[in-house]
Amino acid sequence: MVKIYGFESCGWCAKCKAYLQSKGVEYEFHDIELNPEDAEACEKLTGDTAVPVITADDKNYVLGFDKAKIDELLGL
Amino acid sequence: MGIYDFTVKTNRGVEKNLGDYKGKVLLIVNTASKCGFTPQFKELQELYDKYKDKGLEILGFPCNQFAGQEPGTNEEVQSFCRVNYGVKFQIFEKGDVRGETAQPLFKYLTAQKKFEGFDESHPIANPLMDALKKNFPEYLEGDGIKWNFTKFLVDREGNVVARFEPTTTPASIAGDIESLL
Repeated sequence: MVKIYGFESCGWCAKCKAYLQSKGVEYEFHDIELNPEDAEACEKLTGDTAVPVITADDKNYVLGFDKAKIDELLGL
Repeated sequence: MGIYDFTVKTNRGVEKNLGDYKGKVLLIVNTASKCGFTPQFKELQELYDKYKDKGLEILGFPCNQFAGQEPGTNEEVQSFCRVNYGVKFQIFEKGDVRGETAQPLFKYLTAQKKFEGFDESHPIANPLMDALKKNFPEYLEGDGIKWNFTKFLVDREGNVVARFEPTTTPASIAGDIESLL
């Protein structure tokens, strides 16, 4: 399952969600503002506190709303 | 009324009396979750990592009063956002820091240390002035907080010894902190 780490008022996270929806990609949204454990997992993955972070395998990820990189990561 | 008389709430809703920080050097900052480049959070965390064992505490107070009109952010290039989480220093409950609705702590801090202008050599200084003149001209009057990341330095006895505007980077005040530790 594709995961998006983000938070509610993050505009780039919303764009990311909309983009995956438009491509028919199912995803889980993990809110790092509401859930400390998600915040921790996200920071562990990227070593940073910025979102959105998109990952399918909890190893390779894209930080930020970058369509080209997201396409490459998810094979779209 | 001194700094140790204030009680505030953490971002988990727990009441915290600032008297608990007696004997520590404090850096009190109004923060904001932002989109785009937020080097100040990173630099604050670096200060915290460097000096916490010597007695520095950083207290972050998130505030949305300056949201939506951020100067100098190039969101088209920096397509990400940051939340307060991720920094290891204490973050408190979201609240106002300026005007009638300001939290008492910030009314106290701004009364103790007046606004003495921005550091004009900082790249954000001019766009910040322009944005304030255009959107919030009233913010430029008086000693209230002008923008996110205004920093107040408090010594081990609770005296507010310095105020640094958003145009002063956390990294550049390391010397001021060291002199109090």
